[in-house]
Formats: sequence, structure tokens, C-alpha cells
Amino acid sequence: MWIYDKKLQYPVKIKNPNPKLAQVIISQLGGPDGELAASMRYLHQRYAMPYDEIKGILTDVGTEELAHLEMVAAILHQLTRNLSEEEIKNSPFATYFVDHTTGLYPVPASGVPFDMKYVGVKGDVITDLHEDLAADAAIPQAQPLSKNRPKPL
Amino acid sequence: MIDRNTARENGTRQTNCKMLKKKLQAVDFAIVETTLYLDVYPDCQKALEYHKRLLKERRMLAEALQQSCGPVTAWEEQQGGWEWVKGPWPWEPDAN
Repeated sequence: MWIYDKKLQYPVKIKNPNPKLAQVIISQLGGPDGELAASMRYLHQRYAMPYDEIKGILTDVGTEELAHLEMVAAILHQLTRNLSEEEIKNSPFATYFVDHTTGLYPVPASGVPFDMKYVGVKGDVITDLHEDLAADAAIPQAQPLSKNRPKPL
Repeated sequence: MIDRNTARENGTRQTNCKMLKKKLQAVDFAIVETTLYLDVYPDCQKALEYHKRLLKERRMLAEALQQSCGPVTAWEEQQGGWEWVKGPWPWEPDAN
């Protein structure tokens, strides 16, 4: 079972709202390589694992991904508060806003609702661990392009 | 009329609480990482000792926090009413 710690894993304090940035970051919330997908992937794969070490790590990483989900949500919450109607209408966030306003609904940047199809759980150790490698390696690809981006493994 | 002493005390306490909370976040992060490592290498003595040290540090920080800054989990003793539900909540800028 889970206990909730009333603090973020790492602090999030954003001075200026920015709906343009929110439109990109929302993929980390509800996209195929985002934290919701990651936590669901690991937490559901652990049940069929035959080794304690893997049950342990999938449980603990899955839990940590929920904490990451919370941080991404905090970022999005702080990026989209106190916006004027004009600021919303003129941002790429406008279409999301129609259905969700400042609520946080897990979607990728495309706007299609989060789908469990993003997650593979086959009940086979090698297959599931490969799914995890593929998902984790996709992260450098999904992050916004930047010169300082870490190289994929 | 604002009681300046109380306001200043509250300000200092708030800054102190924020600092303690940041320290706890740092220690907890180290504990999470050590946990993941030990999950795969459960017999590593060095890691086990490190984990023990971290827990000791955490206990001290958590005690200091609980005394002056309010609960971090609902499983702690509350002082002065049900503090757990009171803001700010972690995703709000004031909590960070």
C-alpha cells in the first residue's frame, strides 16, 4: 500500500505562468513516455516477476514515478494559473483549456487522452524488462531539444 | 498594530521550516536511490551502512520538522488541530 508524503520529491517554484511551455510539458504527464505511463508500467509488471530483486525495484521505481508525476503536475499547475482569457486564447494551450481549464488531465501534447496502450505488460521477465529499457531510452528523445541534453545510453 | 516581534519570529520560523524541508527532500532522495540500489544488491554492506546513516539523519530532521513546522505524513502526531489538511499543498508555489 502507499503512504503519501506531503512534500514534492524536489521543489517546484515557478514565478511566471507560461501556457506555451505547458503545451509541451504536458506530454511528461499523459504521454507514452511520461510519468503516468512509467508508473503504471512498473507497478503492473511487478506482479508476474519471479525474482525478489525485480519485484522490489519495480515497486520502488513505480512509486518514485508517481512522485515524478506529482512534480510534473506541480509544474503544469504553476505554469497555467492566473492566466487572462487573452493569454489563453492566444496560446497553443487554448484547445486543452476548452475541455479542462486549469484542471490537470493526462494527455500528451497531441491532446489524445492517456492510453494504457502505451504500456506493455506481458508477464515475461525478459519481455517486460525490454519494454522498460525501451521506455526509459525514449526519454532523451522526448525531452525538448537542447544543446545540453544528455546523450542516450 | 502588527506585533513586529511575532511577525519577525514567524518569518524566521517559516524560513527555518523551508530550509528543514529542503534538507529532508535531499535526505529522502538519497534514501530512495539507496533503496533502489539495495533492491538489486541486497547484500552490499557499504550500502546497508549508508542507508542506516541516512535513516538516522532523517529521524533527526523529521523530529525537528514535526516540532515546529507541521506534519509531513498523516501518520504523525498533529499539534493544534488537524494540521494535515491545512495549506499550502505541495504543488503550490508557497510550499516550495
